[in-house]
Amino acid sequence: MDFRPSPAQQILISTARAFLRQHCPPELVQRLALDERGFDETLWRRMAELGWPGLLIPLELGGSAGSLLDVILLVEEMGRAGLPGPFVTSAVVATSLLLAAGSPAQQKRLLPTLAAGERVATLALVEESGSFDLDAVTLECAVPGRLTGRKLLVKDAHVADDLVVAVRVGGHASLILVPADRPGIARLPLDAISGEKLFEVTFDGVEVRPDDLLGAVGDGHELLAGALQAGAMARAAEMVGGAQHVLELAVEHAKTRVQGGRPIGGYQAIQHACADLVRDVEASRALLYAAAWKMAEGLPAESDAAQAKAYAGEACLAVARRGHQIFGAISYCEEHPLHLIHKRIQAASVEFGDGQFHLETVARAIGLVSEAPLPPSEATISPRDFPG
Amino acid sequence: MNFDFTEAEQAFAEEVRLFLRANPPETFPIDGMDAGYGSGAHSRAFLRALGAQGWLSMCWPKTHGGREQPMFMKLVLMEELALAGAPFGPLAGCWQTADAIIEFGTERLRREVLPAIARGEATFWQGYSEPDAGSDLLALKTEARRDGDHYVIRGHKIWSSHAGIATYGLVFARTSREARRSRGFSMFVVANGTPGMDIRPIRSLTGEVYHHEVFLDDVRVPADLVLGPAGEGFQALLNGLDADRFWGRFYKAPALGRVLRQLVDYANMTPVRGAPLARDPLVRRRLAAIAADITALRLIFYRTGCLIRDGAPLTYETAMAKVYADETGQKLARLGMDLLGVWGPLREGSRWAKLGGQISHLYLTTLGHTIAGGTAEILRTSVAVRGLGLPSEPKPAAEPRAR
Ligand SMILES: Cc1cc2nc3c(=O)[nH]c(=O)nc-3n(C[C@H](O)[C@H](O)[C@H](O)COP(=O)(O)OP(=O)(O)OC[C@H]3O[C@@H](n4cnc5c(N)ncnc54)[C@H](O)[C@@H]3O)c2cc1C
Repeated sequence: MDFRPSPAQQILISTARAFLRQHCPPELVQRLALDERGFDETLWRRMAELGWPGLLIPLELGGSAGSLLDVILLVEEMGRAGLPGPFVTSAVVATSLLLAAGSPAQQKRLLPTLAAGERVATLALVEESGSFDLDAVTLECAVPGRLTGRKLLVKDAHVADDLVVAVRVGGHASLILVPADRPGIARLPLDAISGEKLFEVTFDGVEVRPDDLLGAVGDGHELLAGALQAGAMARAAEMVGGAQHVLELAVEHAKTRVQGGRPIGGYQAIQHACADLVRDVEASRALLYAAAWKMAEGLPAESDAAQAKAYAGEACLAVARRGHQIFGAISYCEEHPLHLIHKRIQAASVEFGDGQFHLETVARAIGLVSEAPLPPSEATISPRDFPG
Repeated sequence: MNFDFTEAEQAFAEEVRLFLRANPPETFPIDGMDAGYGSGAHSRAFLRALGAQGWLSMCWPKTHGGREQPMFMKLVLMEELALAGAPFGPLAGCWQTADAIIEFGTERLRREVLPAIARGEATFWQGYSEPDAGSDLLALKTEARRDGDHYVIRGHKIWSSHAGIATYGLVFARTSREARRSRGFSMFVVANGTPGMDIRPIRSLTGEVYHHEVFLDDVRVPADLVLGPAGEGFQALLNGLDADRFWGRFYKAPALGRVLRQLVDYANMTPVRGAPLARDPLVRRRLAAIAADITALRLIFYRTGCLIRDGAPLTYETAMAKVYADETGQKLARLGMDLLGVWGPLREGSRWAKLGGQISHLYLTTLGHTIAGGTAEILRTSVAVRGLGLPSEPKPAAEPRAR
């Protein structure tokens, strides 16, 4: 057993840390959060030069053939720096889908340009139910045919060149891949506290061609499961990186802020809060790495990934809230970095399945029977909280 | 990164499982209470059986009769024993004492005590705490006075777990009055039954005897039964306590996993108004969340184990891991009591007790875990000060010592 990243992974981590310190300083993060577009092309191009968007893509398609574990280590650094943008949605989730389901023609057309950072892709999955479960998808689509309806909470749709849309073809869960500028597609911004760019994407009689199918009709479940798991893991990594940053800021503050004649870190109430931050960050990270390692090794990891995501969502958010308490009023200011990290952790905790969603996966994995829900009158909380 | 066990580790785990199948843990006689840490009850017979397998000394140097197995084999053994609910209560204490003897024990300790540990015939109680010296251990008053080739110990120890059934006490006493508060302490290995030693049982909140009060009235101990350099006992003790936090809690995660499995079965099989308890969404969520806690706990302990194996310096890791272990145990026990509802309070052996009454026992015993071996408060402070480099709280001005 060995918890240390390999030498190559250590280089990836230190390169990422140095790069982000230089090119993604807190001022840029602040500026992009307040900026309507919130996307820095120069930064994205530089990341592409380092091969990051192609990390999951094989060499022959222009990528650098890394593993999901590599991606997790990289995204943890991104979370630590608060890097905004479409990395997870494009380079992890959409890329995973193309890798798993793309026809040779689709892969050849898109993966090299995604790897080069020339194109960005995103996933349009969620509808009014708010659920990341494909069972909740109702948007019908004939292939070939026309698509009319809408998707919600589509991340970074404004900078996306391609949309993977989860639909039903004759009732069967399926995926289609359409260019974002196809006539009839509109992107309406939502306004989120996190500064993340979320959209309602509407489809008004959008033409769908036979070769727009991504994978076969009815394969949606199987295809999406892997990509959502990768997305959930990447979001967990972002949370761990964010929480690590909060821990560092809080400890630094505890050492330097003087009240009552001594640093506040000399008071046990603050010391114990800091000790809990360490535990929350380290336990979240341990679950994350173990699950990512299993996935990278091709071992079954459904429950591990679900535990990692659910745990990080709870623990890293607790870190952020505790951070505010340790900082006091200064952390209430817009120009202070803490609230942005906090909001990003919060956003990450609900994307690709929130705690309830993933805990249900764990509940089944530990053997709790689940044949039928309790009759509504006897349920302690709404069964709607528990998809699946 | 690699989260797998080596082939040798997997083979050894299988060997332990075969042993446990051939020697069902529940068939061994029990001598002392299961304190809920995850190492089960105190059973001399089981310890001797482990000794007969050669497992107690497997990691020792060959010169001390060991087989120089890698340290991880101990983790494999403890995990398998805990998963099986085996009564290996004294094991971690035996290993730690043995390690201390191997590192800096006298010839006599190596000759007399080590082989007994290897056979599973020696167990140890810890004589650290005193009525007025708990978290502030250095306030202890027990003194050992040199008298020729002996020390004469006088004092009063309390909370000594299983002292009445152990073979030796590890008695921590002041050997000289030095200016520096942390110097001038030594650790003595004192055989139970030595004249002047009076061990009195204290009944615990479970109704059983677990703790003891030990009166030491001019107990004469040969000088070559000092463990570690005389006068430097405090540093040795601190190192020991650090290790104690790791070794004495390593098995908690697998043991809690075992309890969780039983609670899952209970939830699946217990009807509540016509549907299994397991279908209650809140029950599902709480059980699933604690499953993640237990996984994280196990990983945290293995990570610390890797650091120990690799000889990396430890500052806060064992303190953090111990607090997490103890609080997770309390959380699971409370969840268990919630699930059992009106049946929760029934004691082991009672008519109608569910899950053998072990949940109420766990609920009570885990209360002590955040107190024993360094309280959760002291350890959080230690994580902050030693691990994060936060400044220590100023100490109150020292009282002038009466001469
Ligand atoms: C199950 C169990 C088994 C034990 N086994 C043994 C054994 O085998 N051998 C042995 O020698 N002892 C043993 N002990 C005793 C144990 O080591 C002490 O209980 C422990 O060190 C705490 O001391 P105390 O109980 O006197 O509490 P106190 O030290 O009086 O503490 C009481 C409360 O005050 C808090 N407190 C104290 N000082 C501080 C501080 N500086 N900062 C913040 N908070 C503080 C504590 O955290 C605690 O909440 C055992 C105890 C238990 C519960």
